[in-house]
Amino acid sequence: MIYPKEYYLDIFQVTERELQRLVGEGLLRGGDFSDLFFENTAFGNLVLRDGEVTSGGLHSDFGVGIRVLKGEKTGYAYSESTGLAEMTEAAKAASAIACGASAGPGKDFDAVKIMRAVHDKADNFVLSEANGRRPVKKSFRGSPNPAADRYGMSTLWQNVPAEDFLPFLLKTDAAVRAKDSRIIKLTAMLSWQVTDVLMYNSLEELKYDTRPMGSVTVSAVFSSGGTVENRSVSRSYRTGAEMLDDRLVAELAEKIVSGIDARFDARRPDGGRMPVVMGAGASGILLHEAMGHAFEADFNRKGQSVFSDCMGRKICGESISIIDDGTIKGNRGALNFDDEGVPGQKTFMVENGVLTSYLHDRISARYYGVTPTGNGRRESFRYNPIPRMRATYMEGGDATRESIIASVKKGIYVDEFSNGQVKIGEGDFTFYVKDGFLIENGRLTAPVKDINIIGNGPQALADIIAVGNDPLIDEGAWTCGKEQNVPVSCGIPTVLVKSLTVGGE
Amino acid sequence: MEEQKKTAGLLGREEMDAAVRCREFALAHGAQKVRITLDKSCMDLFGMLNGELDKVTHALDISLSMSLFVDGRFGTFSCNRISDKECEAFILKAINTVKMLEPDPARDLPSPDRTAKDAVTGLETELYDSAYEGIGADERLEMAKKSSSFARRSELEHGFTVISEEGEYSDSVYDNYLIDSNGLECRHTETSFEIGYEATVTDKDGNRFSGYWWDAAPRLADLDISGCSPEAIARAAAQIGPKRHKGGRMNMVVESEVASKLVNPLLNALNAYSIQQKNSFLTDRLGEKVFSEHLTIMDFPRCAGASGSRFYDSEGVATHESPIIENGRVSRYFINTYMSNKMGMAPTVEESTRAAVIPFGGCRTCEELLRKTGDGILVCGFNGGNSNSSTGDFSYGIEGFVFENGRILYPVREMVVTGNFITLWNNLAATADDARSCMAKRIPALAFGGVDIRG
Repeated sequence: MIYPKEYYLDIFQVTERELQRLVGEGLLRGGDFSDLFFENTAFGNLVLRDGEVTSGGLHSDFGVGIRVLKGEKTGYAYSESTGLAEMTEAAKAASAIACGASAGPGKDFDAVKIMRAVHDKADNFVLSEANGRRPVKKSFRGSPNPAADRYGMSTLWQNVPAEDFLPFLLKTDAAVRAKDSRIIKLTAMLSWQVTDVLMYNSLEELKYDTRPMGSVTVSAVFSSGGTVENRSVSRSYRTGAEMLDDRLVAELAEKIVSGIDARFDARRPDGGRMPVVMGAGASGILLHEAMGHAFEADFNRKGQSVFSDCMGRKICGESISIIDDGTIKGNRGALNFDDEGVPGQKTFMVENGVLTSYLHDRISARYYGVTPTGNGRRESFRYNPIPRMRATYMEGGDATRESIIASVKKGIYVDEFSNGQVKIGEGDFTFYVKDGFLIENGRLTAPVKDINIIGNGPQALADIIAVGNDPLIDEGAWTCGKEQNVPVSCGIPTVLVKSLTVGGE
Repeated sequence: MEEQKKTAGLLGREEMDAAVRCREFALAHGAQKVRITLDKSCMDLFGMLNGELDKVTHALDISLSMSLFVDGRFGTFSCNRISDKECEAFILKAINTVKMLEPDPARDLPSPDRTAKDAVTGLETELYDSAYEGIGADERLEMAKKSSSFARRSELEHGFTVISEEGEYSDSVYDNYLIDSNGLECRHTETSFEIGYEATVTDKDGNRFSGYWWDAAPRLADLDISGCSPEAIARAAAQIGPKRHKGGRMNMVVESEVASKLVNPLLNALNAYSIQQKNSFLTDRLGEKVFSEHLTIMDFPRCAGASGSRFYDSEGVATHESPIIENGRVSRYFINTYMSNKMGMAPTVEESTRAAVIPFGGCRTCEELLRKTGDGILVCGFNGGNSNSSTGDFSYGIEGFVFENGRILYPVREMVVTGNFITLWNNLAATADDARSCMAKRIPALAFGGVDIRG
């Protein structure tokens, strides 16, 4: 949702002239780019436990982050007050990056003149290999407001009294319990947040946005024959309170009991190297962790990623295209603008098997001489933006799920992973299998659980030998924790990796 | 005339008075009981990339959190604007929100006889270094530069190339002020100084390997400023030439740096929230001998000057030295006031403060522990994986080295360790006595026998 400009200036109690002055302050000591990120966030949450909604809260967060760049170097400071004096102090602290450690006393200056002088300097151009060695401006202007609104909100979260949310949680509790008598404990949590953002930078771009997010997480403990199992399911969208409908109740109830019978019967299989089929949807987290992070341009710029020297090269089969997308309406990873004011967009990282783009913030885009891809994101005004994913997924292929499973003589089918981790330099990853099955002679047989799949990201990508025609983006409350937490989503069609290590008995 | 007690830290009298006014305002407008937590912190960070200054960050935070008990109902609220006008409007909205919830008779403040009375100035833990006040931007920059070894990397490179060295120096001060409507008033102030480095190296074939090392101390004089970068490079280089290992049922030694990965699930399983939700593999095991008689985990929350010390928990309940697991017997659940009332069990503290595995077996260092163990896998890092809190089953990716006759032979990759925590801790064979002082949890290197490791 995007309100008129005055709404944001009023919330943050600033004028456009003050914005110019603060950015000018940042540039005064030699910085070559400066930006401001104002944030006003309201959070709310309600928790149902043991059949009653007995806990809840409201939280607010307010402040402004000020960044000054000198080449690829970053100075960053923030203020929890938008008083001009406090913001000016923060701007001076951030500008220390440009002049060494101590920022000297401020002085009178013409902010607009400084901004334009800095951005018109000849050394603000680079010769881009990716652009036929034509000069490319180091700083890129994004689209002006208004932008496409990718998170419509018909019922504003902050205007709904807490009591109006209670029926949804109680209905969810009843619906889930009605599905399975083995449930001995159930917790349901509703959380929502609405964030007003105002951004201004030394390119004189002014952007503003209001970002909603609603999430519901249901956790249940099941007991049967002395054995206890737990499951958790979540749904999360950038939308208003209208998401809390009967359809969502039914979906959560269905999802949390789905496969629980198999989980009670599941065993750890024999370990070893074997083919692994990843189910469509939530197993896309492996794509996010094991490949997506290695495509983030900061890791590549610093030479730390296993893909640092691979731009333009074929890195996997031609049937594979991998995308990071901020344009899916209502998706948890959707963005009208990223946190640097660059418009949200759809970025092909791998196209028909060829690495075609890293995920860029403004710093890495300047370094590589390309246009920012709208991946400059941050957890809050307390953090400087860095390249981050949004909704990361693989496009569908030709094979059916059934034909992929049928092609495996002995292997593992994974429905869902959790707790994945990857080493960016080496590309090594490990993922915990929450739910899955053995594949024996082309059929799903015994359920498996509590095992790890381990492998190497580039190798696993190159070893994908079948891509399903069932691409699916999971709508769970995924959060990526690279230095800072940001909401993301992930997806994948059914795919077959010809060999990975499965840790088992 | 009462003696003026020495205080330090960030919070001023004006801010603490604002917290008191919030408490009184809430009590006057419908709350019967209130707890207020006021946190303020300041952090400066100087980041280095390949020997050059890459990032400067200055952060100053304040946060006011409220627990409101209204007509038998309960809610938690927080904001970072603490002017009277902003807080009063927020409190009125918060009270209205609480009134809409279902009553929960188990919610209450801790009894005053359980709360800390000896955390008055914030300095009692001796974690505040007054040297912090004299550090300016120039000194921070100097320490950040001194921490990098990139300029002399050629001295360190032997058969590999350092392609990236990224690290940072940071220091911070944290101040906490906790009051409630039962008369609780506590304060905790601490400084922290940290260095962390990540290095990426390539072997002659261009394969990348990364290593990380860090240090932290509440006092600047105790910080190892120049040692982290070379150690990170050495750790990255040590991984060159990894081999696959088929694994099997083997001995496993876990470095102290990462050993908390195996202790945290035990501590989590002792938390009353997990117990009450039947989501713990230690449910109904209080007082039982569950683990090896060699396993004793103590909580030492009040060691003056030691990282992680704290005189009170988040409710203000006084911490005490106490056994958590003693000779394999489960001695303590972590039960806060709410869970105590809900479960009908005596309250303890919210969680452990400085859990410590008591060394046994006579080894001082990890090297001695390897010699004592003989053959197996030395685990230096965990990479992904998870544990099942209901059953205690776990499966983690590991990285480390094969060792034989107490000597490290070669690095391994793509291996997983799988098992159950109760079985694992019953197979605890020995420990070193090398817990890192920079970590709040005091966990030495651990040696286990009969562990299922696969590659």
